[in-house]
Amino acid sequence: MTGLGVLLVDDEREFTTALAKVLRRRGFEVTVAEGGEAALGRVAERAFDAVVLDVKMPDRDGLDVLSEIKRRSPATEVILLTGHRSVVDERDGLRTGAAAYLLKPHPIPDLVARIEAAAARSRAARGGGGA
Amino acid sequence: MSGHPAGDYRKLRRSLVLRMALVSVVPLLVVSAANSWLFFRLNRAIVVDQHALSLRHQREALEQFLAAREAELRAITERYTKAELREGELDRVFRVIRQQPEVLSDIGVIDSRGDHVQYVGPFDLAGRNYRDAPWFTEVVERGVYVSDVFLGYRGVPHFVIAVLRREADDFWILRATVSADYFERLVNVSRSGRTGETFIVNEAGLYQTKGAHGQLLAPAGLGRPAWHEGTRGGEEEIGGTRYLVTTAWLEHPRWLLVYRQELGDVFAPLFDASLLGIGIWLLGAVGAVVLALAVARRQVRRIRQADQEKDAMAQRLVATGRVAAVGEMSAGLAHEINNPLATIDTLRTWIQDLGGTPPIPEEDRREILESAGKIGEQVARCKVITQGLLKFSRRVDAQPERIDVAAFLGELCVVARARARVDEVTLDTDFGTLPPIECTPAHLQQIVMNVVNNALDATAGRRDARVLVSSRLEGGRVVLRVRDNGPGIPPENLARIFQPFFTTKPVGRGTGLGLAICYGLVQELGGTIAVDSAEGGGTTFTVALPVQAPAGSPP
Repeated sequence: MTGLGVLLVDDEREFTTALAKVLRRRGFEVTVAEGGEAALGRVAERAFDAVVLDVKMPDRDGLDVLSEIKRRSPATEVILLTGHRSVVDERDGLRTGAAAYLLKPHPIPDLVARIEAAAARSRAARGGGGA
Repeated sequence: MSGHPAGDYRKLRRSLVLRMALVSVVPLLVVSAANSWLFFRLNRAIVVDQHALSLRHQREALEQFLAAREAELRAITERYTKAELREGELDRVFRVIRQQPEVLSDIGVIDSRGDHVQYVGPFDLAGRNYRDAPWFTEVVERGVYVSDVFLGYRGVPHFVIAVLRREADDFWILRATVSADYFERLVNVSRSGRTGETFIVNEAGLYQTKGAHGQLLAPAGLGRPAWHEGTRGGEEEIGGTRYLVTTAWLEHPRWLLVYRQELGDVFAPLFDASLLGIGIWLLGAVGAVVLALAVARRQVRRIRQADQEKDAMAQRLVATGRVAAVGEMSAGLAHEINNPLATIDTLRTWIQDLGGTPPIPEEDRREILESAGKIGEQVARCKVITQGLLKFSRRVDAQPERIDVAAFLGELCVVARARARVDEVTLDTDFGTLPPIECTPAHLQQIVMNVVNNALDATAGRRDARVLVSSRLEGGRVVLRVRDNGPGIPPENLARIFQPFFTTKPVGRGTGLGLAICYGLVQELGGTIAVDSAEGGGTTFTVALPVQAPAGSPP
């Protein structure tokens, strides 16, 4: 089975770089996008099994990106990961279909486990086929 | 917040005491004065009336006395002929009528030629001739005569009563002398007070009885008194002293009965009573003043307490406002800390992954060291935020000090920029070269924080949202400007934004106190705060502060 495809979207470049390394070591296929617009570009190119999405980004709001991803590929699981807790964002995010709303710094083992579970669910929903 | 100097309370207390004392003492004084005046007038009327009454009684008594003497003499002339009243007989008759105490001092018979043919008395008057005396002419004309007081041949003051008796073609006169001493006692019975005296003056104004102080036959100081009916009373000044003078005329002889008393003496009892009244009034006034003092002291203490409570409340309000502003400002800081923390935590996992199983390849070792370096960078990032926050929240002392405004604003904007990032607002700064200013850092921070928070609130979530914080030296004052490109403030709200409890923020977000507190703080720093806004054209808050702290600024 091909590695699960994960898209990391965050303007914190050091964070995505480090997380990408950790995930790749665990067998994920990781793509990194530095902002909302870039993320939408990657999503248009291929379907990901899981997306880890920041909410506050300079160019495009994370929730916008979420709804766009869900529109294009409803089966793709999205985990919202933000540094700033907002009850409104959490509610809107979960309503739009996010798998989870997590606050930084979230324990990495749990984050990895959640990404793995989400990606597996997504792949199962899409009939176990690769991208 | 500014306190109230003790002098203000002293002034307040003095003014309270003065007002209350005036309010209570003045009516007391007016009522007392009016009462005294009325009482005085009433008393005077009563005294004048009493004097008149007493004088009428006395005139009646004197008229009766004179009538009785005349009747006695008349009775003798009816009973005896001139011839019958020889030496011995006249002496006998005189002993009967002279009475005790001695009313009449002598008696005599004068024939129609004016010769004193018979005489009984202490003087040697027998043989004197009165044909040319005025009284002789008068008694011949009128049949009866009462003389004024005169010295006569004897050289002793006296007056005479004479009656005419006609016998055939001839006539004779029976004449008796009234003792001046007796008459004096008879007249001067009404002596009230210290100076009250009754005396008689004749038409020429000469003393007929001497009263208490007069001299017989000397002018009584009344001039030539004019005739009047009944009694007449009034004040007169005689020799520098004011008297209450009451007068009544006797018909025959034309004598003026005078009752005279010094005015001061007349009203002496009244003055004594007035003294008591003044004493009571003074006691009342002192009581009123003491009461006013006590009430004023109490009121001022209450006001002072209320002021202190108000000041304490204002201070708490400022402190609360500060906490609210710090809270609002630092809401974004969690994000700024959480992001590096997440990176650090991820790098830790990565290091653990690489170093989990020895031996560690050289490539992994370099990767571990690199990651450790990145952790250091993230920690430094956190440190900037936490130190900014520390400086930010530690400024609680309300002590004025010299401040480098540009550096101060720079530190403040580290925190403000963190919040701005969360709100997706670009915060620009432009601090010119400024002299240090003397002001209270906690206050300055609270002012800037409030205005910047408002600017961020106004622009948060808008496209291309920008806030510019700038400072310039203009006209000797340091001018801070916070300009945003938010929606602007509608004109109807512009006038109210510094009013307490005015807010357009949703319930739970704004207290409506931020700018009201700012306004007070700016004033306290001796500065001004102004707003310039156009709907759709953004808003600029301008805070101008003096370089020197205002004189008399609170400690």
